Amino acid sequence: MKVSARWAVGLWLSGVLACVILISRAEFSTDLSAFLPRSPSPTQQILVEQLRDGVVSRLVLLGVDGAPPEILAKLSKNLATRLRSEPTFASVNSGEDVGLEKDRDFLWRNRYLLSPAVSAERFSAAGLRRALENDLQLLGSPAGMLVKRVLPNDPTGELLQLLEQLEGTVHPATRDGVWFSRDGRRALLLLQTRAPGFDIDAQQEALAIIHRAFEQARAASGAQGARVLASGPGVFSVSTRAKIKGDALRFSMLATFLVASLLLLIYRSPRVLLLALLPVASGALAGVAAVSLGFGSVHGITLGFGATLIGEAVDYAIYLFTQTAPGSPPEQTLPRIWPTLRLGVLTSLCGFSAMLFSGFTGLAQLGLFSIAGLVVAVSVTRWVLPALMPRNFSAAASAAFAPAVLRLMQHSARLRFPLFLAVAMAALFLSLPRGGLWDDELSGLSPLSQEDQQLDELLRGDIGAPDARYLLLVNAPSEDQALAASEALAGTLQAMVGQGSLAGFDSAALVLPSQGAQRARQAALPPAEVLRANLEQALAGLPFRAELFEPFLGDVAAAKKQALLDRRSLSGTSLALKLDSLLIKRSAGWVAVLPLRGVSEPAQLRELTGKVGGISPMLLDLKGEADQLYRTYRHEALVQSLLGSLAIVVLLGANLRSPHRVYEVLAPLIAAVIITTAVLSGSGQKLTIFHLVGLSLVVAIGSNYSLFFERQNFASQNRERTVASLLLANVSTVIGFGMLSFSHIPVLHGIGMTVAIGAMLSLIFSAILTAHGEAGKR
Amino acid sequence: MAALLMIAASCSPAFAADETSKAAVAWDLKQLMSELAQVKTAKSRFVERKYLSVLKEPLEFSGTLVYAAPGRLEKTTLLPKPESLVVEQNKLTIEREGGRQRRTLMLQDYPEIWAFVESIRATLAGDLETLNRFYNTSLEGDAEHWQLTLQPNEPKMLAMVSLIKISGSRNWVDSIETLEADGDRSLMTVVKDDS
Repeated sequence: MKVSARWAVGLWLSGVLACVILISRAEFSTDLSAFLPRSPSPTQQILVEQLRDGVVSRLVLLGVDGAPPEILAKLSKNLATRLRSEPTFASVNSGEDVGLEKDRDFLWRNRYLLSPAVSAERFSAAGLRRALENDLQLLGSPAGMLVKRVLPNDPTGELLQLLEQLEGTVHPATRDGVWFSRDGRRALLLLQTRAPGFDIDAQQEALAIIHRAFEQARAASGAQGARVLASGPGVFSVSTRAKIKGDALRFSMLATFLVASLLLLIYRSPRVLLLALLPVASGALAGVAAVSLGFGSVHGITLGFGATLIGEAVDYAIYLFTQTAPGSPPEQTLPRIWPTLRLGVLTSLCGFSAMLFSGFTGLAQLGLFSIAGLVVAVSVTRWVLPALMPRNFSAAASAAFAPAVLRLMQHSARLRFPLFLAVAMAALFLSLPRGGLWDDELSGLSPLSQEDQQLDELLRGDIGAPDARYLLLVNAPSEDQALAASEALAGTLQAMVGQGSLAGFDSAALVLPSQGAQRARQAALPPAEVLRANLEQALAGLPFRAELFEPFLGDVAAAKKQALLDRRSLSGTSLALKLDSLLIKRSAGWVAVLPLRGVSEPAQLRELTGKVGGISPMLLDLKGEADQLYRTYRHEALVQSLLGSLAIVVLLGANLRSPHRVYEVLAPLIAAVIITTAVLSGSGQKLTIFHLVGLSLVVAIGSNYSLFFERQNFASQNRERTVASLLLANVSTVIGFGMLSFSHIPVLHGIGMTVAIGAMLSLIFSAILTAHGEAGKR
Repeated sequence: MAALLMIAASCSPAFAADETSKAAVAWDLKQLMSELAQVKTAKSRFVERKYLSVLKEPLEFSGTLVYAAPGRLEKTTLLPKPESLVVEQNKLTIEREGGRQRRTLMLQDYPEIWAFVESIRATLAGDLETLNRFYNTSLEGDAEHWQLTLQPNEPKMLAMVSLIKISGSRNWVDSIETLEADGDRSLMTVVKDDS
């Protein structure tokens, strides 16, 4: 081994060690924030916070089915009791009244400070008279049974008012005391975890607790056939992580196994096989290490992408081995193929470096991963492999099929015209306006399976969980000002509910009014003797028993001088959780979140909310914002791909110094990209950002093929080996990526399918468009 | 405790009566129900008196009841204040002040109200299955003069309503008496409205 080779091997070994150390300390993330811009707008920032940490992210929806309703009800109660004893859950609601006593008690005791209906007019003689007449009518209705219990304390119906506002209009059906789907087939539970949705380890633990408790509850209720279905953001992150891990690992291993078998078949040497995998493994390690060093954490999708590196990096070793003539040392092969290889790698780097500058962490990670991976893989091929290759290396057998392929290629030029025709047709097909080429919804990017999404919709529909599509946000310097602003908005929103353009809304001020509002309500309550006189006047001629309303007089007097409510007053109730989720402390000031239900005219809402005096609320359309974000993301990726393509043209122009040669190299790649896109779109797939990344890879991999084909002056022996190496490299790429296309995860499926088709087409088109020149010369 | 005693008192003779009537004339709940189910439409006037502990004197309401098989029940109160309650399938619509105030509830969302509605509707429809879902039933008397006693089987409902007694003759319901857990009661008497 030469000194320089020793240095190379030593350097490589220490590099591998450094990477292993870096990776062992790396953090891996799977949350959505990687798909958000690095410098988000305020609404996007809140969107991210809501998705990561908001109350919506903590919801777990459970459906229990597979048994008769009576048994399901028992099972549901049993399960809820078990889960309530777990500190993991902030709230467990099965539809039973359990645990709501504290809430009701809080509302009951503080009803005169909490109810927005409290006004001086309401407690005047005329106001009380109206209330009492209304009570009388209510007593005659089916609701009378409920009303008469609270009547002596609350003739003006403040509790009813509060409950109606808090409950909202949608709730699940009840059967045997617990929530059920309308068709009675599923019992429903709504849980809230203490841990935020992005804490996947905690969410996984919570899921494990749910399943354990369910097993016990099922055994206790004797419902053998019953099962529990879980859904919600936390559940999704857990299953996504597991799936990405599982799929990436499974398909990478399968692809590695198949490629390894192929290489073993061709080279018939385990040692050579190991050597062929060295650049890939080193590249993947370096990629992950570079990302973790550059970004602090590695996203699951980047890791999944690691599998794809096998496809390109294994090619380098194949080129070296297959093009090494029997008996001649690799040092002689390298000078011949290195310029082409180097140009191929540089071309790939151009494609990926554009991604590196993306404003989106997810894309930038993919870019860095690819660049670091490819540079390391090609460097290992160039400097480390030759030192480790056996002295008497021969890959003679591997080129045995080459003459047959070459004979086939001699007629390939005839296919030029049909190919041009095919490209033109594909381009025409793509330019036709048909329902959109791109998938414009963020959900298209989601790693969730169709079934998971359907289950979630089903359970959400059953339970009437807030879809939380529209939120109204108000920023304020202090907590109390945020509450006061929410109260100012409530009037406008209530009017919209009256008009029917809004089904309802939620607000932190419903459970904790601003200090100002509380003081105003206290001031509106008349002094004891005035209230007594008003009541007496109002009662004249009504059949209520004398002295019936003494408790009412007492309660109002107490409310008039009670201490104002603050955040601490709510502790121990589930309302505190509501307050925390709707009134959020941010780095600068506070933001009040008002989730809206049943928005039928968002435009009207935007217009109306702009007019509320003094405050400027923002309307946040979570789905619209997320989709918009995704479109921006994809647009940016598209622009960067185009910039990358431009850089490739410039690079090739500078190296080849001939427009014709640049065309020879690029034509097959352009043809492959167009036809691949048409095939994908024609097969009913809507293109996502992952397909775009796949197309970049097609250009990166395909450029190696066309560059090798484009080299005009090589001897027949070398030509055979070159063709053999290209074919072998192509087959291993198609295997590697073809495996990924079997994954159900959109990212892996999209990239796998695109590259498998695109790489194969690139090779065939290179043979047709680029190789004909020198084949014809012979 | 008082409520429990009352149930016990009203249940055991009912049970005994049921036994004897079965033996004597072979007339039972099933037969009553199938006879009630024959009625497709019925129109009547009602007077309802509520005896409530919070009031010095009973409340009196009067108006019309219209039933159309299988599941539509319309209770229109005319006095003292107009109000209409319409139950159709699983929807309850309440209208007041000549339609200016209108609320629609899904019965599933309010189990107590649902149970209460079914005590009348399911009886009129002769729907024993639905009755059994909410109540333990017992029957006294004979076809000419029967009394159906309903006892809620859900603890929450039982905490409010101890018993509902429905009496009638042949396929006609004469009166509905509701005994509430706190001792309040209401009595609704129904007469045919042939107008």
